[in-house]
Amino acid sequence: AMAGRLEPHLEALGRELRPSDPAVLSVLLALLAVAITLLIWRFVQGRRSSRKAVLLLGLCDAGKTLLFARLLTGKYRDTQTSITDSSAVYRVSNDKSANVTLIDLPGHESLRLQFLERFKAAARGIVFVVDSVAFQREVKDVAEFLYQVLVDSTVLKNAPALLIACNKQDVTMAKSAKLIQQQLEKELNTLRVTRSAAPTSLDGSATGGPTQLGKKGKDFDFSQLPMKVEFVECSARGSKGEEGDADFEGLEKWLAKIA
Amino acid sequence: ERGGNNSFTHEALTLKYKLDNQFELVFVVGFQKILTLTYVDKLIDDVHKEFRDKYRNEFQQKGTLGLLNGTFDFKDDFMRLLRDAEESSKVRAPTVMKTFEQSLKSQKTVKCMIETRGEKPKEKVKNKKNKGSKKEGTEAVAAPGKASVGDKQPSTAGDREELTKDEILQKNREEFFKRHMKAGEKSSKSPKPEAQKEKGKKPRVWDLGNSNAKVLDYSNSATNGSTEACPVEEFDPDIALGDRNREPGRLYDLEYESDDEVEEEKVIQNPSKPSTKKGGLGGMFGMLKGLVGSKSLTREDMDPVLEKMKDHLIAKNVAAEIAVQLCESVAKKLEGKVMGTFTTVTSTVKQALQEALVQILQPQRRVDVLRDVMDAQRHRRPYVVTFCGVNGVGKSTNLAKISFWLIENGFSVLIAACDTFRAGAVEQLRTHTRRLNALHPPESHGGRTMVQLYEKGYGKDAAGIAMEAISYARNQGFDVVLVDTAGRMQDNAPLMTALAKLIAVNAPDLVLFVGEALVGNEAVDQLVKFNKALADHSMAQTPRLIDGIVLTKFDTIDDKVGAAISMTYITSKPIVFVGTGQTYCDLRSLNAKAVVAALMKA
Repeated sequence: AMAGRLEPHLEALGRELRPSDPAVLSVLLALLAVAITLLIWRFVQGRRSSRKAVLLLGLCDAGKTLLFARLLTGKYRDTQTSITDSSAVYRVSNDKSANVTLIDLPGHESLRLQFLERFKAAARGIVFVVDSVAFQREVKDVAEFLYQVLVDSTVLKNAPALLIACNKQDVTMAKSAKLIQQQLEKELNTLRVTRSAAPTSLDGSATGGPTQLGKKGKDFDFSQLPMKVEFVECSARGSKGEEGDADFEGLEKWLAKIA
Repeated sequence: ERGGNNSFTHEALTLKYKLDNQFELVFVVGFQKILTLTYVDKLIDDVHKEFRDKYRNEFQQKGTLGLLNGTFDFKDDFMRLLRDAEESSKVRAPTVMKTFEQSLKSQKTVKCMIETRGEKPKEKVKNKKNKGSKKEGTEAVAAPGKASVGDKQPSTAGDREELTKDEILQKNREEFFKRHMKAGEKSSKSPKPEAQKEKGKKPRVWDLGNSNAKVLDYSNSATNGSTEACPVEEFDPDIALGDRNREPGRLYDLEYESDDEVEEEKVIQNPSKPSTKKGGLGGMFGMLKGLVGSKSLTREDMDPVLEKMKDHLIAKNVAAEIAVQLCESVAKKLEGKVMGTFTTVTSTVKQALQEALVQILQPQRRVDVLRDVMDAQRHRRPYVVTFCGVNGVGKSTNLAKISFWLIENGFSVLIAACDTFRAGAVEQLRTHTRRLNALHPPESHGGRTMVQLYEKGYGKDAAGIAMEAISYARNQGFDVVLVDTAGRMQDNAPLMTALAKLIAVNAPDLVLFVGEALVGNEAVDQLVKFNKALADHSMAQTPRLIDGIVLTKFDTIDDKVGAAISMTYITSKPIVFVGTGQTYCDLRSLNAKAVVAALMKA
C-alpha cells in the first residue's frame, strides 16, 4: 500500500524533474533510497526486542552467583560475595535456539541500586532470588528490596516478567514458596503505607514514587501488578550436594518461556 | 569506597589485598595479626604477576564463561612463591657481632695504646693508612676514640677534596684581600700554612721539658694589631642589610602570611607549567591517542585530575581527610583499568568518583522508622529514639518536627525531657507539646492525647528520667518515646560518660546523632569521639553505637553538601532525616543522587 501511494507522487516528481538536470535527479533518487532504508531499518530494529537480559537480583547470600554458575556450566563452584556484575549468554535447553543474557548483580546494600540502575532498561525478565532458610529473619529486608524494584519507573513501564525463586530448598528448614508469597504480600502491604508516608525527598520527588503499588483499598496481591509474577522453588546446590546437579527445573522452564 | 588502605583487621587475622583493575581480580592474603611478616607485600605482588601472566588468555578471550569453566590450578605455583618469599626474608641474617679476635683492637700491640710523649706516632699512621677512603678515616677517628689521636693525620690527605668551613673562610679571605688590598699577599700566605696546621690538629705536647710557647701560640702574628691583614669575616653588605631599597630608619609592618603562601604556590606551579607548554604539539597527539583506542590508566595520568577533584570536594565542605581517602580509593580502583574508546581520563575519574559517592550514601541498613514503630506497636512496647549531639545543632527543634511527622501518621508520642542542664529546655519542649496538641487535638484522634511531655525539672539525672519515661510510656500505651538530651562537646569526658550511661542503661531502639550541615572538618572528630565514648562505656558485648544521623540546617547551605559525605563515611550509618527549616513541615529524607549531583556540580 505504501508503494502504491508513493508511485503517483514519484511520477509527478519525475515529470517535474525530467526537464531539469539529470544530475539533480540522480541525487534526489539517492537521498530517497537512503531515507527508505533508514525507515525499514528502524522498523526492523523496533520489532526485534532489544531487551534480552534476565537479571538475577536478591539479598546478599541468597545464592544468585551459584545459580548463575549452575545455569551456565552445570558445575558447582565456591562463590564469594559479588562486588561487580557478571554476564553471559545462556542457551535455552530445548531446540528453540533462543538465548538470553543472564546478568548476575551483586546483592550488597551499597551496590545493588547502582547496578540495578545500569541494567534495568535491558531487562526482559527478573529473577528475584530469596533465601528460604533465612527468610523469616530477613523478611523486612527482602520486602524492601522487592518494593524498590517494583516501584521503579523503568520496571513499571517495561513490565518484565518476574520470577521469585525460593532458593536453598535442599535445607530442611526452608520455607515453602506459598508461605513466602503470603508473607511478602503482607509485608508489601505495610510497606506501601509506610513508604508513601515517609518524608518527601530533598528535591521534591517522593521516595515511594508517585505510583501506588497495587490497588488502593484492597490488600496487596501479586496479581495486582502489571507484570506476570510466578513463584518457584529451587535449589542451586542440589539435593546431592556438590557433585550432583542443581534442582531447578521450574527456573529453566520459566527461562525457556520468556526467551 | 574505602579502598585507600590495603589492609583490614578482623579479630585475630589481618588481611591484605591488591586489586587488578584490568581483569577485575582481587588478591587477598590473610595471616595472623600477631605475626609481623615482612614479605607479604612482595608475595602478593608476585602472585598477582604470575597468576595474570599464566591465565591471561582465559581472561581476555573467554570472558565470564572462561572464568566459570576454567580450572585454575595455581596451588603448586602459590606454594613455590610462598616458599621463595619466606626464604628471601630469612636470607638477610642479622649481622653477627665481630668476636674480639676479629676486631682490629687485638691486632694493635699494647705498646701503641700507650701515648708516648713527643713521639710522632708514625706507626699508627701506617696502620690506619690502609683504611682507604677519607670517610673511613674519619670514622676510624670516631671508633677507637681515645686510642690514637694521630688518626687525624690521614684525614688531612683526604680533606683536601672536601672544602671544610675553614677552607671556605680562607678562600673568601683571599678574595677579599685580593680585591681590596694588593699588598696583603704575604699575609694571605701566612694563614694558609697555619690553616693546614690547624687541620692537622697535631697532638698538644704538654711537656714541661719543651714548653713550646711558640708552638702553642695559634694567634696570627702578622695580624695582631695590624688593621690591614686583619681577617675580617666575609661581609657582604647586600646580604646583611637585605633590601637595598628600604628607607633607613623606618620600621615596616609585618607581612601577611597569605602572600607568602601564594608565592609558594606560584613557585610550585611554575615548574609544572613549562612542562605543559613543552608538550604542546605532542600533547595534542597524545590527547587524540588517548581518545581513540584502549590504553590503561596509570597513576600519573590520574594524579592531576584527582588533585582537582580533591580540591573541589574540599571546597564543597567535605572534610579534608575524607576527601583524601576518597581520592586514594578511587585511584586504587582505577589503576591499571583499560579505558574504552572516546573516554577521557577526566570523565572516567569523575564517573568513578560519582559511583563511590553514591555508594557511600546508600545505607547499609534499612531506613524505615515507621515500619519499626509498627513492629514495636505489635509487641506492645514503646519505640525509643534518643537524640544526641553537640551544642546548638537543632536537637529539640528536629525532635519536634519528627514528633509532628509521627503524629500525622497516627502514632502517639511521649517526649522525655532529659536535657536537665540548659536553661529553658523543658519550657521549650512544653511549648512544642502545646502547639502540637493544638494542631492535633485529642478529638480528632479518638480521644487520646497524641503528644505528652514527661519532665522532672532541672538538675536531675538524665538516665533516670529516661528510664522512668519509658516505663510510663509502656504503662500508658504510648507508641514512641523521643528522648531529648543536652548538647555536649565531644571532648568533655564526664558528659560523654553520662550520655553513654544513658544509652547503655535504657537500650533505645534508635540512637540518632544530630549534626548540622554547616560543620566541616569537625564532623569527623565529633562522630569519632561520640562513637568511641559509646563503645568504651558500654558493658555489653556489642555496644550500642550511633544508628543514624539527622542532618540539620540543610537550608543554610546552597550546594556545599559535603558534610553528608563526611558523616556517612565515618559511621557507615544512613542519614535518616534531613532538617531544612524551622517549621514543623521542614523534614525531608535524603536523596543520594540529588546530593551527589550537587556535589559534583562545577
